[in-house]
Amino acid sequence: MPEVIIDGKSYNYEGKHKLLQFIQDLGKEVPFFCYHPSMSIPANCRQCMVKVGQYVIDRESGNHELDDKGDKVVRWFPKLQTACNIDVADGMVVHTQETDELVRRAQKDNLELILINHPLDCPICDQAGECPLQIQTYKYGPEGSRFEVKKVHKPKRIQLGPRVVLDAERCINCTRCTRFTEEISKTNQLTITRRGDKNYPITAPGTEFDDLYSLNTVDICPVGALTSTDFRFKARVWEMNQTPGIDITNGKGCNIDLWTRDNLVLRITPRYNKDVNDHWMPDSGREAYKLFNENRISRPLQKLDGEQILSSWNNAIATFNEQIDGTDSKNTLVIGSPHASVEENYSLAKFSNLLGIKQPVFVPHIVEGSGDGFLISDDQAPNTNGCRLLGFTELDVKSIKNAVKKASLIILLSDHLLDRGVLSEKDLDGKFLVVLATNHSHTTKLADLVIPVTTAAEHAASYVNVDSRIQRTFRAKETKYTNRRLDLEMSEGRLDRYGTNFDNWVTEENKIDCLPVWRFITQAASARGLDMVLTEGRQIMEEIASSLEPFKGVNYQLMDEHAGILLKTETELKESVKQ
Amino acid sequence: MAYEFTKEDLKQIEEIKSRYPEVMPATLPVLWIAQNRFGHVNPEVQKLVAHTLGLPQAHVHGVAEFYTQYYKEEKGKYVLDVCTCLSCQLCGGYDILHYLEDKLGIKKGETTQDGMFTLNEVECLGACGYAPMLQVTNDQYVNHLTKEKVDKLVETLKKGETPGYEKIGMPQHENI
Repeated sequence: MPEVIIDGKSYNYEGKHKLLQFIQDLGKEVPFFCYHPSMSIPANCRQCMVKVGQYVIDRESGNHELDDKGDKVVRWFPKLQTACNIDVADGMVVHTQETDELVRRAQKDNLELILINHPLDCPICDQAGECPLQIQTYKYGPEGSRFEVKKVHKPKRIQLGPRVVLDAERCINCTRCTRFTEEISKTNQLTITRRGDKNYPITAPGTEFDDLYSLNTVDICPVGALTSTDFRFKARVWEMNQTPGIDITNGKGCNIDLWTRDNLVLRITPRYNKDVNDHWMPDSGREAYKLFNENRISRPLQKLDGEQILSSWNNAIATFNEQIDGTDSKNTLVIGSPHASVEENYSLAKFSNLLGIKQPVFVPHIVEGSGDGFLISDDQAPNTNGCRLLGFTELDVKSIKNAVKKASLIILLSDHLLDRGVLSEKDLDGKFLVVLATNHSHTTKLADLVIPVTTAAEHAASYVNVDSRIQRTFRAKETKYTNRRLDLEMSEGRLDRYGTNFDNWVTEENKIDCLPVWRFITQAASARGLDMVLTEGRQIMEEIASSLEPFKGVNYQLMDEHAGILLKTETELKESVKQ
Repeated sequence: MAYEFTKEDLKQIEEIKSRYPEVMPATLPVLWIAQNRFGHVNPEVQKLVAHTLGLPQAHVHGVAEFYTQYYKEEKGKYVLDVCTCLSCQLCGGYDILHYLEDKLGIKKGETTQDGMFTLNEVECLGACGYAPMLQVTNDQYVNHLTKEKVDKLVETLKKGETPGYEKIGMPQHENI
């Protein structure tokens, strides 16, 4: 097997590799700015310099030539090489900054050059704390600068597009953003203008950077040149917790990170998953943080004399059960939701099964033609396939209207059917409507009983995306009934760890008074004396996996290990049964 | 004003495109055609070039902005680039520049009211041996400048004639 010697250690490899990626995959480090594993390699930041060579072999004897000390002689490349674009070759000898003074010097001097015109904005810069330039200057950079002349000033606060602001001074011209629009989003909206120390990225005159994926350039910008209009100046990165999650605004199910501070989700960034979204996500998915924070339903609501009033959980559960008892199970319609997780839908289905109510129905939320074939799908809901695999009856607009007409009690899970135009107020006239929902909407306003439930940011639950891949979320936000310090799966940031109830950065208001669907269902069931206990997503998924064929073998641990599991689609299942 | 290529231009552009396996390399020569036709490549012209070649507008903008020889705004009929880099400076480049400023009644970087002349101060044009010198609209060099020579040049240009290329022998060949 071919081998490469890096810093005196030998590594075997197979296939083709670029040196920088190879070194990174070994868990070692070489500093860099412009390289990005998903894009072309321009090698223009010149930061990943390493020394590369080959052992000298004596032609006659075929042995390594040795120097006076008995060490193998290396024939080095006449100049240092950029690790990002050099191919790993058999017998290659590499010295990185860890072993070579020349490489250390080159990287240090390159940083000094990059920093000549870089403003000292760090104290007010959004990128500070997650800035490759800051981190690498700290690790490999010079202690001072020899350039005492005035820095070149470039435009600040250019609104490139509706969501991205440019600070040209901070730009180090790595061209990651322009390459992103050329190679990934393919809109070609950005270019580098001017040259020398005056250049920076910009759109063509008269156009704006309204790319549907524009905020990815903010993520890949290795400095604070591109910042998000929305997130700008909202929080310092070290104050926030980073919790993995799944994009719930779209059927694609992009893997995301939720950034929370004091139980508010402040921003959403993509999380790498090579099988789903690579390093990217659409801008629309990042807006979802508002769903987790704003307009939330806290405490149950009950309609009294035509007006919704806050109620207690005991009252809500009693009303819920009274309505079920008072209605013939034939006249009860349970509507599941492609917007809710597999576990939530399953809990509801299990409950209705025990009561002899028909299997829940659901209405897919698909807007034909709204997808782009990349990371935006026609499907507006994160779990349409999950409902299908649970065996829910898929109804179109016409048939749901019919089903509603026949029912007198409607239990609706997390789906704003009125807001998305499936049902109208008239359809619900004279019906008792129970809505389990996360946010206030036109639909919840009409409900006779509103049960506040947890969002994807508050429960661990799984979603099956358009490609039938099941992926799960983690608890990022506390509710009134969860506690970050007791829940080992929740991430705990600095403010959470060292804060007390008497600190001004810890507030109770941001904790919503809501329950996971399965908790509510369990409580309702136990009030009825039913033997049904659903404690948390992990346990429910085990139950689903053991009872439902499509989910066989699925559990949280496997999902975590493989970043989601590809399930067989309905049609594939049918075909396998036939065979 | 709407910019449009003439039929001959378009024919020439097709010919240029056929020289390269891809369209992108045609950007530079086609920008030249545009500048020769309109006198400049302002954002509107860049848009026209991008549209004609089927390239992203941002790409054409980036290329045009990179090269100082492409004029991104309307200039005078003749653009006088006076070199004030080291050799020219020592031989009186600034005197020539200031003389031209006074003569044309404009400051460097400006265009005369009649739209005839634009005056620029530029860095080295690589003719240090013939300092002080200037360049006329990305083309002819006028060397060994004196005030008289500048007067003559301005006269010639005002008549609509170009100064023509100067032939200067190397010192070692002077006796040949």
